[in-house]
Amino acid sequence: MQIAPERFASRRDTIAFLICIVLSVAGRVAPVDVQRDIASAITSTVLAPFLAIQEQVSLALGARTDFLEDVAVYDSITALAQQTRLLAVENERLRELLDLSDRLPVQHVSAEVLYQADPRDGLALVISAGSIDGVKLEDPVVAPGGIVGVVKLVQSTTSTVLVWMDTEFRASAVIDVGGEEIFGIVAAGGSAGLDTWLMELRGVAFRGEVPVGATVRTSGQGIVLAEGINLGGVYPAGIPIGTVTDVGEEREGWSRTYQVKPAVNPLSLSHVIVLTGPAWEVGVAFEDNRP
Amino acid sequence: MRFIKQQWQLGAVLLLLVVLQFAVRPLIGDPRIERVAPDFLLLALLVYAIRARPGQGAIAGFFVGIVTDSLSPTAFGAGALAHTVIGYLAAWGKVVFFADNLFVNAVFFFVGTWFRDVFVLLIGHHAQGSAFYWQILYLSPLKSLTTAVAGVVILVIFRRWLNIRIHE
Repeated sequence: MQIAPERFASRRDTIAFLICIVLSVAGRVAPVDVQRDIASAITSTVLAPFLAIQEQVSLALGARTDFLEDVAVYDSITALAQQTRLLAVENERLRELLDLSDRLPVQHVSAEVLYQADPRDGLALVISAGSIDGVKLEDPVVAPGGIVGVVKLVQSTTSTVLVWMDTEFRASAVIDVGGEEIFGIVAAGGSAGLDTWLMELRGVAFRGEVPVGATVRTSGQGIVLAEGINLGGVYPAGIPIGTVTDVGEEREGWSRTYQVKPAVNPLSLSHVIVLTGPAWEVGVAFEDNRP
Repeated sequence: MRFIKQQWQLGAVLLLLVVLQFAVRPLIGDPRIERVAPDFLLLALLVYAIRARPGQGAIAGFFVGIVTDSLSPTAFGAGALAHTVIGYLAAWGKVVFFADNLFVNAVFFFVGTWFRDVFVLLIGHHAQGSAFYWQILYLSPLKSLTTAVAGVVILVIFRRWLNIRIHE
């Protein structure tokens, strides 16, 4: 539309302006009932389609708000349920740890896992017990299920535990097969999935026949290789290590290697026990936790 | 023929602004923000009035005012009176400024919105004391600003239809 030519208001404009002013003033001073009737007539006719649009928009907005509130409530409930489940799991673990602590016939200290083991983190746990708690290098670390690892670094209030998943880990093991004891060395056996780690029972004499399902425990003996190298890692006898799941390959014609499912998954631990005192046999403490 | 086409184009823009008034403002939701949200209805009046004769501007202002009065629970007639004056003055203002200049239009939208609010508050006695000053010195300028911004956006988008010069 072209902009109207510049000129002052004509008499006709002035009259129109004055009429509008008079009508406005009349509306302003009119009785409330009359004002209400006029407003009602306008909203039900001229404004009706626009008010319908406004109503639909408001409804859509309200529906969206309700939906978002419902989602927020659902999320809160889900989070609460998840937290409750985690607390229950942790509670169960702590109870098991407490039971084990009561049964252990050796001086020990309980500790919280501060740094969860992860394949990317060097397969080590940092625990909340250190030298001031009596923790020393090479102290065995156990959980209610069985062996976890060995202390490799001690500081005043924390320690670092080398878990059995590390390639440096070794433990002298024994399997009781019908009264006959078969010895071997347990080491990490790689992973069979993202969170599934396995062990290997190595150096089992060819004459010894180990059945699938047999329980592997620490033997209480030190690990000294044929070359005279002492690997250390002396664990008290009787600590569960795992269960034989597969008869492995034959090596060097005199020994076999077996696949072992570990008794403890260090990735899921929240608390552990460090055996700080000397002991020879602690198997009785794990009697209820045979893998 | 060209004149009729321009009339239709202007009518379409005004209708769009009226629809925006009822479709966009509810989306803002928060009443604290809604009070300073752009007034598309007044924007439509100003866009029309600056292209019309003063009498036409006054009549358009009266109708816009009576519509807003119908939606407002109090002070019926105050809006009609204020919008009549604004519509008349806006049309009359062509004498003193260039209606096809974008910046002038922005200032015009800002001042027009603020004047309208002051008129409505004075005539309708909506607010008194500190509330009145709070309204005209804080909320109304903010609403005027948002209205001016919205007006500039509309003018830029429909500059060919509304004969707006972006560059000097």
